[in-house]
Amino acid sequence: MLHYTMRRILAMIPVLFIVSVIVFMIVHLTPGNPAFLILGEDSSPEAVEQLEQQLGLDQPKVIQYFDWLKNIFIGDLGQSIYSEESVTQIISERIGPTFSLMIISILLTLIIAIPIAIFIVWKRNTFLDPLFLSGSLLGTSIPEFWLALLLVLGFGVSIPIFPVAGYIPLTDGFLSWIHHLLLPSIVLAAVEVGLIARMLRDSMLESVNQDYTKTARGKGVKERKVLMKHVFSNALIPTTTVVGVTIAGLLGGTVIIETIFTIPGIGQLLIDSIHRRDYPVIQGVILFIAFIYVLINLLVDLLYAFLDPRIRYD
Amino acid sequence: MRIKHTLQLFTILILSLVLVACGNESTSDETGEGNGERKEEQTGGTLDVAYASEPDTLDIMGNASSPTRDIAWHIFETLVALDKDFAVKPMIAEDYSISDDQKVYTVNIREDVKFHDGSTVTAEDVLASLERWRLVSSVGKTASENIEEAIVVDDLTVEITLNQVYNGFLDDIAAPKTGLAIIPKEIAEEAGEKPLTPDQLIGTGPYQFENWERGKEIVLTKFDEYSQREEDWGGLTGKKEAILDQINFLIVKDPQVKLNGLKTDLYDYAQNIPTDLYEAIEATPNTNPVTYINGYSMLIPDKSEPPFDDLKVRQALNYALDKEEIAQSTYGNEEFYEMDGALFDPTQTELYSAEATDSYLATDKEKAKELLAESDYNGESVTIMYSNNNEAYKRISQVVQQQLEEVGFVVELEPYEWATYLEKWQDARNWDIVTIGYSTRFSPNELGFLVQDTGSSGWYNSERWSELMKKWGVATTSEERQEILTEMNQTVSEELPFLKVANETTLDIMSDEIQEYDAWIGPRFWNTRKN
Repeated sequence: MLHYTMRRILAMIPVLFIVSVIVFMIVHLTPGNPAFLILGEDSSPEAVEQLEQQLGLDQPKVIQYFDWLKNIFIGDLGQSIYSEESVTQIISERIGPTFSLMIISILLTLIIAIPIAIFIVWKRNTFLDPLFLSGSLLGTSIPEFWLALLLVLGFGVSIPIFPVAGYIPLTDGFLSWIHHLLLPSIVLAAVEVGLIARMLRDSMLESVNQDYTKTARGKGVKERKVLMKHVFSNALIPTTTVVGVTIAGLLGGTVIIETIFTIPGIGQLLIDSIHRRDYPVIQGVILFIAFIYVLINLLVDLLYAFLDPRIRYD
Repeated sequence: MRIKHTLQLFTILILSLVLVACGNESTSDETGEGNGERKEEQTGGTLDVAYASEPDTLDIMGNASSPTRDIAWHIFETLVALDKDFAVKPMIAEDYSISDDQKVYTVNIREDVKFHDGSTVTAEDVLASLERWRLVSSVGKTASENIEEAIVVDDLTVEITLNQVYNGFLDDIAAPKTGLAIIPKEIAEEAGEKPLTPDQLIGTGPYQFENWERGKEIVLTKFDEYSQREEDWGGLTGKKEAILDQINFLIVKDPQVKLNGLKTDLYDYAQNIPTDLYEAIEATPNTNPVTYINGYSMLIPDKSEPPFDDLKVRQALNYALDKEEIAQSTYGNEEFYEMDGALFDPTQTELYSAEATDSYLATDKEKAKELLAESDYNGESVTIMYSNNNEAYKRISQVVQQQLEEVGFVVELEPYEWATYLEKWQDARNWDIVTIGYSTRFSPNELGFLVQDTGSSGWYNSERWSELMKKWGVATTSEERQEILTEMNQTVSEELPFLKVANETTLDIMSDEIQEYDAWIGPRFWNTRKN
């Protein structure tokens, strides 16, 4: 198990290295120059040149890349061209809202998706099943931004139960924290619920008529217990994969949702930095997101081994 | 058994979520009552402003962007400043005198003007600020060429000697963007050419800098020791009383969010709303539109290369355009544009001249075709470049394309996002015409689209214009200035360095809880009450 874990962790390094090369190239090949942006529309060429020098942007790209890479190994992602704060500092300030949003929406997703899937499998031969299928298809097909605007209009403006925008950190009180995040989380969850519930239902249906479930029923075990103990736990493996991918995907989804609800998270930070050509911040954020993505995949793999002894013993 | 427990847990969780949602309903009710109490006091309170774009810095001396200005002018003040009619009046200065040869400016500083760090403004601070201004401000750099020396006479008196007569000097130090903001000497020297960091944001204004949470908000609080003037001058000077305790500039980009936030009391004021929403706002109770002038939109041809280095082609361009049609289809509502060919806004009485702007609305498609035939233009593709962060520039470019093609130009549109646009702008090979807008300016020196031989002006080189700028520097009376302004219009009209489209008006919205608000040229929240 330890060997397996180590191997998986080591495998992260080349992935992150490739990401770093790609990120650096894309960021620096994009036209636009932070010096022009800082100095404004009436800047003189001399001032631009001087500022470029000051920011180290006049160095050859390869040298800039290796400087950056070298510093990453000592945990230094550089500093923002604008605020001169360190990138790690900036990311740590902005990660709270994004993680909050992700945690609440993934909890919401599981709370809704798991019971629904179990219920549908229990009532598998009724009209509820096709109804569920079309419902989940609808859920995954709804564009997030559209649902967000609709919910804001409904529960923010017409019936003002929730604030239409903004974010309150958890440290300022649990109630206002969740009050501000519930609407955006519902939007994110709505898309994922359909996917996860559907996945869980399909995997459960596969084992509903397996020999071991038949045996259990033959022994006189109640259907409810059969579903929970034999069917549900066997369906967890494929579902875990989907949940893992979903969590990672939420990082992308939050970009749009953070903009609509003006939540000052990583997604907004990324967009702002791109508009400003704040190279160190763009690079740092993308690398960070890639790291989280890889990390979640690693955790999912390790979780398999935990959930299914067969994988552990390989 | 375990699963059963899990199910119970789910149920509890769902229930608690519902409870949380309901619980919060009552919390928001309580805040509502809080507002009610304030109604009786009439002072204090917090103003939540939804501001459209986050500034890069609050260093008003060095950065000429509007977001920097709109927030930083609550914090910083200048020696002299513009009043509501755009005339220069004392601010930190008690008064000033100009020598008979118009070269020596003696400025007396008001007693006991306090910085936000508690220290008092002295002549040393003014001098250090002036030195920094000459380095970092685009206006300051121009003024700097005319400064011979600046000396401290006594604690509260500064004497600035110019090397030649230059009457734009006071306008320069009073410029709302990149004007001579007075900061403590140590900070001015420490910062030098670098932008001020948040802990260096020490000014003398009615509000002081409190906190900047990047991507979220900038908080200003009332400065208790503010040394207030009493004159009712408006603009950026006179009485500037901090009635509100706190102003939160919240960064909110989406216009719909701003509107929804205002409707639900999340914000009190929202800046930069698309004019399309004007009717929706008028129909919304408790919400008032705020409009103010915001410069004008224009087309700038690249005069360094064919085809527009040829005056005939520029004339053809001008005759080909039906600007009324362009403005109508760009801005729609007549509240938001004005057809006026002058270099300045009609409200800027000292700078406005409507004389000699005949070519502004001279549409004549036939003449355009004739001129084009006479010129060397032979159907090569003309590139119109614009930044797609602004809906107006996009629409203008599209209508212009259509109108130019009618007379025989071949036109290509090239939209870029702002950062790319700025870079491309500085290289003549990338474009033939740019569509852009300039915010309201307060002196011919600040007209960036006419600065000789720069990318921003499309490489405009004109002896005639340079002569006029020199004359402007030495003009003393209003009549002389009016004459020069007319000649300036004449020059622009004949040389066509740029083609003005229309004066623009900006739309903000505010809740009707805000009282006594004066729009002027941008959001300023001193002398503003909230019920």
